Amino acid sequence: MVNFGNLSQVFAFIFSLASMALILTGLMKNDARFLESGRRTLYGLALFTTLASFALGYLFVTDNFQVEYVASYSDRALPMFYKVTAFWAGQKGSLLFWAWVLSIVTAIVVRNTRTELKSRNTPYIYLVLATTLSFFLFLLTSVSNPFDLLDFIPRDGQGLNPMLQNPGMIFHPPTLFFGYIGFTVPFAYAISAMVVGRLDETWLRKTRRWNILSWVFLTIGIIIGGQWAYVELGWGGYWAWDPVENASFIPWLIATAFIHTAIIQERRNIMKVWNMVLIVLTFVFCLFGTYLVRSGVLQSVHDFGATGLGGYFLVFITVVLFGGIYLIAESYNDLRSKHTLESYLSRESTFLFNNVLFLAIAFSTLFGTIFPLISEAVTGNKLTVSQPFFNQVNTPLFLILLLLTGICPLIGWRKASADNLKKNFLFPALTALAGAVVLFIAGIRQFYPLAAFSLSIFVAVTIFNEFRGGTIARSRMTGESPLTAFPRLIYRMRRRYGGYIVHLGLVIIVVGITGSSAFKLETQGTLSKGESIKIGAYELRYDDFRGYRDRNRDIYAATLSVFKDGKPAGTITPERRYYVNAEKPTTEVSLRSTLVEDLYVIMPEISPDKEITLKVTVNPLLAWIWIGGTLMVLGGIMAILPNRKKKGAL
Amino acid sequence: MKKSARKTLVAVLLIVAGVGFLIYKGVSETGVYYLTVGEVVGADTEGFSDRGIRVSGKVVDGTVEYNQRALNLKFTVRDLADEEKTMKVVYTGVVPDAFKPDVEVILEGSYDRATNTFHAKTLLAKCPSKYSKEENGEKE
Repeated sequence: MVNFGNLSQVFAFIFSLASMALILTGLMKNDARFLESGRRTLYGLALFTTLASFALGYLFVTDNFQVEYVASYSDRALPMFYKVTAFWAGQKGSLLFWAWVLSIVTAIVVRNTRTELKSRNTPYIYLVLATTLSFFLFLLTSVSNPFDLLDFIPRDGQGLNPMLQNPGMIFHPPTLFFGYIGFTVPFAYAISAMVVGRLDETWLRKTRRWNILSWVFLTIGIIIGGQWAYVELGWGGYWAWDPVENASFIPWLIATAFIHTAIIQERRNIMKVWNMVLIVLTFVFCLFGTYLVRSGVLQSVHDFGATGLGGYFLVFITVVLFGGIYLIAESYNDLRSKHTLESYLSRESTFLFNNVLFLAIAFSTLFGTIFPLISEAVTGNKLTVSQPFFNQVNTPLFLILLLLTGICPLIGWRKASADNLKKNFLFPALTALAGAVVLFIAGIRQFYPLAAFSLSIFVAVTIFNEFRGGTIARSRMTGESPLTAFPRLIYRMRRRYGGYIVHLGLVIIVVGITGSSAFKLETQGTLSKGESIKIGAYELRYDDFRGYRDRNRDIYAATLSVFKDGKPAGTITPERRYYVNAEKPTTEVSLRSTLVEDLYVIMPEISPDKEITLKVTVNPLLAWIWIGGTLMVLGGIMAILPNRKKKGAL
Repeated sequence: MKKSARKTLVAVLLIVAGVGFLIYKGVSETGVYYLTVGEVVGADTEGFSDRGIRVSGKVVDGTVEYNQRALNLKFTVRDLADEEKTMKVVYTGVVPDAFKPDVEVILEGSYDRATNTFHAKTLLAKCPSKYSKEENGEKE
């Protein structure tokens, strides 16, 4: 099976090179037969990466520990479920996963464009995809081969890091990777459009669904990652501006900016250069994200071992970046717009500002992430920045962005009239102001939370106004009752309303983040049986302690009764787990989550006489982050639901 | 048309300048120096310590004292390269899972030269096993 996997990889690599060669020959000789064979070769490529992936999965499932990668991330005691997902626990498997998914995506693109081979840009799309694939397959067959063997057969594997033995871990890396990989398609279309000089908005139209789908996957990946960190890592938060979190957030920010200005280009035929820049940057940072996770340049919780892969990635990223810049410069004159912005108070301008802000946040995040490297190179001093830096710099930028979330979709095109402004924004602004006053009186006096809540109200009211206005209009026109008209309206105009739902999700996330960061309570203490610890309205009493064996781990659990305002509110059981193959115990979070607040308990210490040390956190409104995140994802999916007539037109 | 292009440029430049200012301010207000134990003990750290410093070092075996009731941890940390250079560390709070003698730790806090004691506000322990790059511990 090892040889089979190796061979499949090698064949896949050869096929990727063959496809590139055939397409190039076809282009040079202007011969459609070569192009057609090059196209078909890409199907074969997908077949071989699939075989290689199944081979690796098989080696995991059958505990073949002579394979170094399997021995490093699995052991006999590991539940079957995690054996399968250990596939992408490390760098080598992740790269194979990348290549596999990209080859499938390529096959889908190849199939969808089967009638478009005559169109001049199609071969270039294939060429970009095949080149990217050959890069990954080159890594897999040379420096980072998951089928590499140890020169002995260990009796057991080293096991999977206990922190990765969590359901969130099954979906977090693959969804992120899907997002990263998906952006290869719009990138390929953009490059091909520039190469052949078809610079109208066709490439944007054709890749719109890919863009949004990839964005949806990135969003899911980031949210699941946050949730995984929250329930598994046990430090009481969900986002630490860790380098790898940032590495997934930066492409998300740029992609989000891109999705917004793509709309402007479709509608007004401006911002063409800008969109090219954005898609190239998105792809560059998708690669950079993959590179950061798996190379070990920066220290991070995600960094499960370093190898000398970085150089290759940097070369490829440089080629992509400079190739992109070169093409944009070459086609600059044709890309330049005939129209420009006419007024600050217009939809075009507010979209531009929203873009600048997205990029500003992306830049400051990137800057903070690589700052230690810059600082050491420039001054010789290792000056570092961490969470406070990101929070301090990005919070005001996010707040302005939130304001624009309310303004952008409603402000008039070209030049907004006073009427347009008054009609759309007077009532929401007054409501937001009233909300701020109420919150101020209720005791919220810090500036940022007050601003965040009040802007959230502003945006939410603008969105509700749109929903209401649309429903009333439709119900008048069709005679349907508002209850029928509302869902039909949303479905009919799902592209627009999907966007609103994403915005609504964002507002809800902002509320959750603000509540849980500005009003968080935290305490710690050591208890003997019968003793209690108090936090806010809660009191936790230590009742019971037990230890037992469960599959591949020993579990020690304390049971605590929870009282809220003196009334019983259930029990909570923080645990410590000793995995057979891990040197250190892990802390299992116990969580009592409600829409109002989360009670979050970890037990970092147990003394021999069963005194327990607890760290207790109360995170107000935190659950709304997951609710808002879900809404964002649903809105995104809604915006790309296919029309009934044209099935599967991705 | 030219006027409008200039308008856009002005607005974008203003935003860029604003962001630049935010980043500059962010670094100067939140940046901390990342030093080794040797550098802290040996060098003049006057200018570094206003906001605290971050130090990496190794926990010296046999020096760890922990009072679980008071959540009070005391140990000695030595330079990663030079065993001679050590300082005492005082930390109050939850001890990360990976903390134990001979493990590499990253501390954040302030250094008191008079008593050669580091008052740590945060304590991160690096796991010595195969997940060698992984940090585990308390974050804010």
